[in-house]
Amino acid sequence: MRAAPSQEEVRRHNLGTLLRYVHLHGATTRAELTTRLGLNRSTIGALTAELTTAGLVSEAAPRETGRAGRPSLVVRPESSKVYAYALSIEVDRLRAARVGLGGRILDRREIERPRGMQALDAVQPLAKFVREMRAGAPDDARYIGTGVAVAGMVRRDDGVVRLAPTIGWVEEPVGAALTAELDDGEKLTVGNHADVCALVEHSRGAAVGSDNVIYLYGDVGVGAGIIADGRRVAGHGGYGGEVGHMVVNPYGRECSCGSRGCWETEIGEYALLKHAGRSEESGRQAVLNVVDAAMRGDSQAKFAVREVGEWIGFGVGNLVNIFNPEAVIFGGTLRDVYLVAAAQIRSRLTAIALPAAREHIRLRTPELGYDAALMGAAELAFERLLEDPLLS
Amino acid sequence: MAATPLLELKGINKGFGPVQVLHDVSIAVYPGEVTALVGDNGAGKSTLVKCISGIYTIDSGSISFGGNPVTIHSPRDAAALGIEVVYQDLALADNLDIVQNMFLGREKKKGIVLDEATMEQMAGDTLASLSVRTVKSLRQLVASLSGGQRQTVAIAKAVLWNSKVVILDEPTAALGVAQTAQVLELVRRLADNGLGVLIISHNMNDVFAVSDHIATLYLGRMAAQVKTTDVTHAQVVELITSGRSGDMGLPPEKPAEFADAAIDITPGGEK
Repeated sequence: MRAAPSQEEVRRHNLGTLLRYVHLHGATTRAELTTRLGLNRSTIGALTAELTTAGLVSEAAPRETGRAGRPSLVVRPESSKVYAYALSIEVDRLRAARVGLGGRILDRREIERPRGMQALDAVQPLAKFVREMRAGAPDDARYIGTGVAVAGMVRRDDGVVRLAPTIGWVEEPVGAALTAELDDGEKLTVGNHADVCALVEHSRGAAVGSDNVIYLYGDVGVGAGIIADGRRVAGHGGYGGEVGHMVVNPYGRECSCGSRGCWETEIGEYALLKHAGRSEESGRQAVLNVVDAAMRGDSQAKFAVREVGEWIGFGVGNLVNIFNPEAVIFGGTLRDVYLVAAAQIRSRLTAIALPAAREHIRLRTPELGYDAALMGAAELAFERLLEDPLLS
Repeated sequence: MAATPLLELKGINKGFGPVQVLHDVSIAVYPGEVTALVGDNGAGKSTLVKCISGIYTIDSGSISFGGNPVTIHSPRDAAALGIEVVYQDLALADNLDIVQNMFLGREKKKGIVLDEATMEQMAGDTLASLSVRTVKSLRQLVASLSGGQRQTVAIAKAVLWNSKVVILDEPTAALGVAQTAQVLELVRRLADNGLGVLIISHNMNDVFAVSDHIATLYLGRMAAQVKTTDVTHAQVVELITSGRSGDMGLPPEKPAEFADAAIDITPGGEK
């Protein structure tokens, strides 16, 4: 039998819990922390003092409460002094940000990524962004780590991108290359784009309080971050959630993964543009142009949006039957398509999903928008600190 | 989801002289949910909203708020209950800034002077609680805002007063795509923050994108109030245009006569 946790372990656990709370909720009074965390006042006081010494939080008297009695001190994360780098590799863009504890984006850079750009060519500009931002960071600020979100299947252990069909990479050691370029030791974590978006929407966005959530991210491809019972559904190797490659139409088009009729071949960017008769265009703006044209009444654009909407509803209906989620969040360009094709999506969903599975379903758009990937990537780095706030 | 409706109207009748506009209309608005009110032109949507907001008084029927019976005789009664309406024309003053508009007619005072600091703080907090990031300065004149931003200010104004039910009349009419998306997300957020929202819309996408319930008026009668997860686009369109769809909606007119007629022509029925 395992011995009960030692006092030291309990203390570290409580430190992590408190830090996580202010990291996610921002400035919080000591009084509120006491009730939220279920610890007594003196414990909260001691923990806060310890985190303050470690330079992770600060305490100050509130401005004005309007209530009688001595005001409770407000604990806030040291956003400007503790930070992580967040990098995001997407189909059309490379983005980087310096994110402070508490999830505040302090600095950001972005550059277009030409389709077909190789992994090693993407590492250079990202490393350059990090060096630029490092120069801009205050000297006394503390660097926690770097998180990378990649729109592809990633092995978390060593940051190898196993397969990213939409980006066109196979077995690329992106993590190792970035680590070498940044001379970063052990502090770099690579994760899947949709996964990190899902986690951050769950912790501080549109899905707060929902423990069964499917976050869909669409551009050329479609990925999902699936949260069941409050935890990410990762699967055996961490590659789960590839809903874009769920086959919905065996007689459909060939997919970039080599299969045929995958969901993303029916609802991704290429399908929408093809239905709209704009196959020669590409990119996010081209999708938004179709959505815009559809709203203005362009009949071919309307047809395209409806067609794609039907297929979205088809896939979401299947997912709802399998996972019975409380919320489905449409991210990336799927947000815009959802808002203009909701009638088709909902109708198809109603027709396909079983009544008990769909009765409490909420369809939502993301609250953090395009920042979700960066904030989510930063969470990958902050996670180590939140696990053990006193680590050096 | 919630069992007790925040606002419930039962058996509402309203006529103007010889014209009976609403016949026995019932509708419920739940906290934390968006109820869409749809119907063809002239179905009585605007009249119903004006009855709720106290601009018209009802001829008969009952209104309950939070489970308690109430009477609404004037817009002031509705506001006192926590019912705010955002009209299509928004009713904003172009020559005033955002804060002044949000507090128009209900300014906060400190002694005999206006309490600008508190008002600005409250306006800022309200916009922040709705995650509105598109407005640069609270002291911007409303004349300088885009259509979507005006709609945002009008909605924030409705939320500011600790309101419990917000009624929106065609909030996305005449907006561009990006702004429509923002306003729809804002409407959804109002409900997710716990308010009861009633939205009038002609756009089926808007209705399906944000609503939890759909209430369909057909020629002054409530054809059906259904959960959005239980219906398809085609069914709602059918309810709007013919008042029924399958076993939903209004009963066919005079069903008994149809039944009798069917028996009458049965061969050999009279023996």
